[in-house]
Amino acid sequence: MSAIIRLGMSTSDIAAGAEATFLALQSAVRHRQLPVEIKRTGSLGASHREPVVDVEIDGQSTLYGPVTPERVRPLLDQHFGSGGRGVSSDWLISRRNDRSDYPFLGKQVKVTTRLCGLIDPYSLEDYLAHDGYEALKKALKMSPEEVVQAVLDSKLRGRGGAGFPTGIKWNLIRKSPNFPKYLICNADEGDPGAFMDRATIEGDPHKLLEGMIIAAYAIGASRGYIYARAEYPLAVSILRHAINQAREYGALGKNILGSGLDFDLTIKEGAGAFVCGEETALMHSIEGKRGMPTMRPPYPAQSGLWGYPSNINNVETLASISSIVLNGPDWFAGLGTDKSGGTKAFALTGAIQRSGLVEVPIGTPLRELIYDIGGGCADGHDLKAVQMGGPSGGCIPANLMDTIIDYDELRATGAIMGSGGMVVLDDTVSMVNMAHYFLSFTQDESCGKCVPCRVGTRKMLNILQRLLAGRGRMTDIDNLRRLCITVGQGSLCGLGQTAPNPVLTTLRYFEDEYMAALEGGANGNVQAQLAAEVTA
Amino acid sequence: MELKTKKPLKKQVYLGKPHEPPPAELMAILDKFRGRKDALITVLEEIQHHYGYLPRQQLEATARELGFPMSQVFGVATFYNLFQFSAPGRYQVRVCKGTACYVGHSGEILEHLKEKLGIDEDETTPDKMFTLQTVACVGACSLAPVMVVNDRTSARMTPEKAWDALEHLRAEANGNGEVSR
Amino acid sequence: MIKLTIDGKTVHANPGDHVLDVALENGIDIPHLCHHKDLFPSGSCRMCLVQVEGAPRPQTSCGMTVQDGMVIDTKTGAIEAMRRDIVDLFVSDHPLNCVICDKNGSCDLQDNAYRYNIQETSFDFELSRPKYYDDNPFYVRDYQYCIMCGKCVRVCDEIVGANAIDFSGRGFTSIISTPFEVPLAESDCVFCGNCVQICPTAALLPRSKIGKGREWEMERRQTICGYCGVGCTVEYALKDGKIIYAQGTPDGAVNGEFLCVKGRFGWDFNSSPDRLTEPLIRKDLAYELGLTDEPWEMPKTSALKGKPKLGNFIPVSWEQAIDITATKLAGIVQKHGPDAVVGLTSARCTNEENYLFQKFMRAGVGTNNVDHCARL
Repeated sequence: MSAIIRLGMSTSDIAAGAEATFLALQSAVRHRQLPVEIKRTGSLGASHREPVVDVEIDGQSTLYGPVTPERVRPLLDQHFGSGGRGVSSDWLISRRNDRSDYPFLGKQVKVTTRLCGLIDPYSLEDYLAHDGYEALKKALKMSPEEVVQAVLDSKLRGRGGAGFPTGIKWNLIRKSPNFPKYLICNADEGDPGAFMDRATIEGDPHKLLEGMIIAAYAIGASRGYIYARAEYPLAVSILRHAINQAREYGALGKNILGSGLDFDLTIKEGAGAFVCGEETALMHSIEGKRGMPTMRPPYPAQSGLWGYPSNINNVETLASISSIVLNGPDWFAGLGTDKSGGTKAFALTGAIQRSGLVEVPIGTPLRELIYDIGGGCADGHDLKAVQMGGPSGGCIPANLMDTIIDYDELRATGAIMGSGGMVVLDDTVSMVNMAHYFLSFTQDESCGKCVPCRVGTRKMLNILQRLLAGRGRMTDIDNLRRLCITVGQGSLCGLGQTAPNPVLTTLRYFEDEYMAALEGGANGNVQAQLAAEVTA
Repeated sequence: MELKTKKPLKKQVYLGKPHEPPPAELMAILDKFRGRKDALITVLEEIQHHYGYLPRQQLEATARELGFPMSQVFGVATFYNLFQFSAPGRYQVRVCKGTACYVGHSGEILEHLKEKLGIDEDETTPDKMFTLQTVACVGACSLAPVMVVNDRTSARMTPEKAWDALEHLRAEANGNGEVSR
Repeated sequence: MIKLTIDGKTVHANPGDHVLDVALENGIDIPHLCHHKDLFPSGSCRMCLVQVEGAPRPQTSCGMTVQDGMVIDTKTGAIEAMRRDIVDLFVSDHPLNCVICDKNGSCDLQDNAYRYNIQETSFDFELSRPKYYDDNPFYVRDYQYCIMCGKCVRVCDEIVGANAIDFSGRGFTSIISTPFEVPLAESDCVFCGNCVQICPTAALLPRSKIGKGREWEMERRQTICGYCGVGCTVEYALKDGKIIYAQGTPDGAVNGEFLCVKGRFGWDFNSSPDRLTEPLIRKDLAYELGLTDEPWEMPKTSALKGKPKLGNFIPVSWEQAIDITATKLAGIVQKHGPDAVVGLTSARCTNEENYLFQKFMRAGVGTNNVDHCARL
C-alpha cells in the first residue's frame, strides 16, 4: 500500500489553521506508525474549505476540508483504522480522482495551477516527476524563433490585464539590436482581491521559473528579475528556494542544461506601491528609485531597465509557457476562443458560496463561473454584479452574466479581464459605495506625478464622498463624468487611465443608485454611510 | 625587463564632513550592497527589518556610505508604504482593506480597533504594544476579512474577535513581562 | 530629415527631435508647464497632449520623438476641453491670488488660466501642501503655489548635480522637499537658484523680488556677469535703476539658461554705499605728491584688519592714478630690477584682460612674476 496525505500549506491555508492540522497529522501518523508520506503542498484553490487534506491510497484520492486538528483522528481511522464512524459527510469534498463530484474543482480546466496542491513546492523531485523542465529541454532543441512562433500560434495574451499578445511582445524585443536584454516577471500582484500569482508561486514555483527560462531563450535575455510583493513573504521564500534548486539542477546560470544558454534570476522585493505594477514604474523600482511611471514611448522593448531592452510579463503568462511548449500551441489555442488561447485563473471572492482560486478556459461564460463553479451568492442573496479587474476594472451587472470571459467581450462591458480578481457583489452592496472604495484605493496609490491622477482622482473621490454622505450637488454627476474623461484620457500611466473604470461602469449600469444618492441622501445603506464617515 | 606595476591608488570617496562611523550592524548590511546602484530599496528593507523602522541616523549613514544623494534616500523611503519612520509597537496589527475584506466589513474592524486602542491608523499605543495599520491586500481573500498581526494571518475576523485576539496578546505579553521581572 | 504634419502644416525635423520642440520652433503653440528644453521630458503636466493620427488616445508631445509621416492635431475639441479641465484641476490646488502675487505677469499657470478663461476652479478647492519655508537668505518656498511639475527636481539633478531636493511622499499630498524637510542650508543645496528661475509659478521666488514691484514695471537689461571670467550672460530686472533680481536668459552663449549662486544672488554690491566708484590714493602718498596739505601717517595696525577707511584716501582722476602708478612702478624697476615687481590679477577679469595683464608684466615690466587668484 502506498499512501500519501497532502495538506495545503499556502498563506491562505495557514491563515485558516493548517499549521495546527499539520502538527496533529504528523504526531498522529508517527504515533500510529502509519506507512504514510505527508506532503505539504500549495493551495488546491478551494479556499472556502481550507485547510484541505487529500488522502491518496494506491492512486485513489479522497479530499476533505475543512480539516481541523480534531478531525485528524477520525479521518485516519476511516482510512487506516477501524472504520470511519466519526467522519462526517460535511467534511468530504470529493471521492473521485477527477473531482467530477465537486463542481468547484471538477468544472475547472487547470493549466498554470495544474500542480498546485499536488506537489511539494519545496521539492524539485516532485516537479521533475510531473514532466518538470521537459518543456525547457524541448524548447532548447528548437530555435528561439520557433519558440516565439509557438507562443504566437498559441494565441496567448498577456494575463496582467491589458491582454497584449505575448508572442508579438516577444518578437519586438527579440528584434532589438541592443544587448543585454532583460526579462522581468511582474509578480507585484497589487489588485486588492487577487491572489492567483501568489497561489501559483506558492504551489508550483518551478513552473514560473521554467517559463522564464524558456522566455529568456526565446527573446535573448541574459538576466531576469522577479519583482515580487513584499506582502507575500511565503511566496518569496519559496521562490528563493526554487531558484537555488534550479541553479543546482543546471537550469539557471551558465550553460543551461548544456545548451550554451546563460541566464540567471534575481528576486526583487517591492515595498508596497500599487503603481509599481505599471511597467515603467516597476522598472524604476527595480532600479532602486521611486516607482514613478515614465512616458511611453519609448516602450520597454526599446529602452527599459537601465535603458536596455526589457520584456515584462506577469506570472500567469510566464507560467503558461511550459505547457504551450510541451503540449503544443494548437492544444493551448484550442482551449480558448478564436482570438485568445488558453485558460485564465481567477480569484473568486466576495459574496460567493464557494470562493477560491479557479482556472477556466477563456470563452467560459461568466454565469458558469459564478453559478456552476462558485455556487452563486452565499446566504441566499441575489447576485447584483461581479467586479472584475480590481481598481482598474469595472462592475458587470447580473443581467450580463452570459458575457464570456474574453478580453474584448469584457472590455465591451466597460470592465476589463484584469489580472484575475473577481469579487462577487450581492444585493446588499451599494454600487456608489463600491465605486468610492476603488477610487479611494487608486487615489491613495496614485504616485502624484501627473495632475489628472493626482488631483483628478481626489476630486472624483470628494464627489462620491459627498454623494454617500447625502450632500450631493446637482452638478456632481456631470462633473464626475467630465472627470472620468479627463482622468482616463489625460493620465500618464495605466493607473490613472483605468482609475475611472469602476465609476464609469457603475454609472453606466447603476445610474439609478447615483440618482437616489443625489436626491435622497445616502441610499439607506448603513455600510455606505459608514464608509463615508470612515474616509471623510 | 619586467615593468613594475604601480600599486593602484585606493579610491578616495568624498563623504562630506567627518562623521561617526556607522554601527557595526549597519555596516554589515551596507557592505553587502556596496557598488550596487539598484540596491537602495533592498537596503532600506533590510534596515527596517533590523531596526523595526528607518532611523534617520542610519539613513544618513546609508546615503553617505553607499553614495546615494540623501534626497533620493528620503524620496524612496517616503514613496513606499512598507517603510516607516518611527519605532513600531511590539505587535504590528494590520487590517486588510482589500476588496473582499472590504465587502466583508473590514472597515468596521478597523474602526472598532481604533476606538478600543484609542489610536488612529499608523499610530502606536502609548505602551508600545500595538501599531495599527492597514494593508492593501494579503491575498487571503477567501478568508475575508483578515487581520495580520506581525506575520500571522487571522481569518474571518469580526470586530469583537479582532479585539479579543489583541487583548489576549496584551495579557500574554504583560504576563511574560512579569515572569522575567 | 523627417517630414511630419502638425495642424495641417508640413514641418521638417531631425530624427530624435521631440514633437513639442518641433512644433514650438515652427510657431505652433502647444501649451506646456513642465517642459524645459534643457531637461529630460517628464510628461507630468499633461498640457501638451496632442492627437496623433492612428493613436487610440492622446499622446504626450514633449516626450514623443518625431516619426516620418506623422499627422498631428494639437487643438482638437476634445483635447482643448481636456486641457481646460487640467488647468481647472491645477487651480483647485493653487490659490488664484494673482492680484497680490509677485509672479503675476510671468506665471505659466496664470497664462494658461487666462488662455482657457478660468476664473476659479469648478471643483472643490483643497490645498494639498500648504507649507511655507523661509529658511535661507536667497529664496522662499511657498508650496501652496507648487504644481508639482518637477522642474526644480530635474534641474537640481540633471544640470546642477546637487540633488538637494526630491519628491517625497506620494499622491495628492506628495511634496518636493529636502531630506527630512531640513532647512535648505542643512541640505546639499548650493543656492544656485536655477530652480527658482524655472519654477513656472510663485512656489519659488527670489527673496529680493518679494513686494518690490510688478513684472511689467521692470526694465530688463542683459549683460555679462562680472563675477568671473566664464562670461555668463545674465539679465537683471531693474526698477527705478535698482536691481530687483537676476536671471539667466534662454540664449546665453556660454551658460545657456543657468547661473551660479554668485551671478544670481551676488549682485547687492552693485548699489552698496561701500562700493568703490573712482580711483583713490592713500593720504601719505598724496601728501608726498602735494595733492593734499594734510600730513598723514599709516596707522600701526595692519591694514588688513578692519574695514578700509575711506578717510585714509583721497579721490583722484583716472589720468592721475595711472600716472602715479606708472611712475612708481618705473622707479622700482629702475632701482631694484624688474623681478622686484609682482603682478596679481583677478578671476573677475575676462580672459582677454588677464592675457593683456600677463603680457604687460612680461613684455612691459620684464618679469615673469605674474599670478592670478584663480577662483572667487
